[in-house]
Amino acid sequence: MAEGAGGAAANGGSDEKVLDFLDSVDSYLTTMESLAPILRQGWFDLASARHSMGVFRVSSASLDLKDHSASTYLQMVGHESDDSFVGQPSFSLCKWASADNKSCCSEEEIPDSQLRHRGTSRLSENQEQNSNGDDSLKTVDDLVKKERSKTLSVFGTLVSPKLRTAQLSFETALEVLVEAANIRSSMLSAYSQVQKQMEDTREGEIGPIP
Amino acid sequence: MVGYFQMAGRAQIATKSSALIAMIADEDTVTGLLLAGVGNVDLRRKTNYLIVDSKTTVKAIEDAFKDFTTREDIAIVLISQYVANMIRFLVDSYNKPVPAILEIPSKDHPYDPAHDSVLSRVKYLFSAESVASGRR
Repeated sequence: MAEGAGGAAANGGSDEKVLDFLDSVDSYLTTMESLAPILRQGWFDLASARHSMGVFRVSSASLDLKDHSASTYLQMVGHESDDSFVGQPSFSLCKWASADNKSCCSEEEIPDSQLRHRGTSRLSENQEQNSNGDDSLKTVDDLVKKERSKTLSVFGTLVSPKLRTAQLSFETALEVLVEAANIRSSMLSAYSQVQKQMEDTREGEIGPIP
Repeated sequence: MVGYFQMAGRAQIATKSSALIAMIADEDTVTGLLLAGVGNVDLRRKTNYLIVDSKTTVKAIEDAFKDFTTREDIAIVLISQYVANMIRFLVDSYNKPVPAILEIPSKDHPYDPAHDSVLSRVKYLFSAESVASGRR
């Protein structure tokens, strides 16, 4: 009876791993499918910008080859062994970090002051906190705009609005790509667990060698 | 996961680090992604991208792929799938978790899941061969 219950639990556990793997494969495929229309919109906007600004202004010839750091980069969390990552690393996108202030400009956490509080006695306190919160959000917004403009300035002082739209499209594409990278990571992790389980099952069926 | 750590017998430290996104793609894709701020050029004028056009040799693509996958400051490598097909053997034989290789569509070549290296690796679980071996 106990063995049967244990067997049922083991089967349930293995089914769960297989389901996790299948879910992650499905999520990966869905995410990659969702990428195409976003990229297509970006290419279209880029082509429109090229049409209005000129072919030579919107080309690889305009790219900045002076040394500079990426404004948009990744924060990676993983388990490190010696000098390699093991386990399931996870990635988060850090957009438009300024060179002066390496903290992410686009990490927008809603400050507590913006949460609604009941009671009139704290109204004036909240109003002051709200204005401080608004100021910090405006500062973040200004920094993001500054970094975006800096990137666009590589293509000239006056740029087509289509180039700005293309920039936003590719930013969205980046977010989807980082999501796909995380799903890929969990898919490979689930795959290795299912594979290990299959090997354990085969060894169990073959039994110990006399 | 815990068992793996014990077997490895090494100290496992949870770390948070910043890293770059590298790109091996056509001009429009690279230009667009650079607009999003991912471009990085170091003091030696080494970039985190390679623009592939009709004059780019397979060796140059292979060298860029090897370089990006061995650099410690790169966490994701984006490669157009049609470019990955030119160096398919190299891409399929890559199996490290970091940097993550993502095959992306290009203007003239839509994404094909059948050629994706990570899906090719895991589709073994769905193949008749794996089902048959499990039933023996």
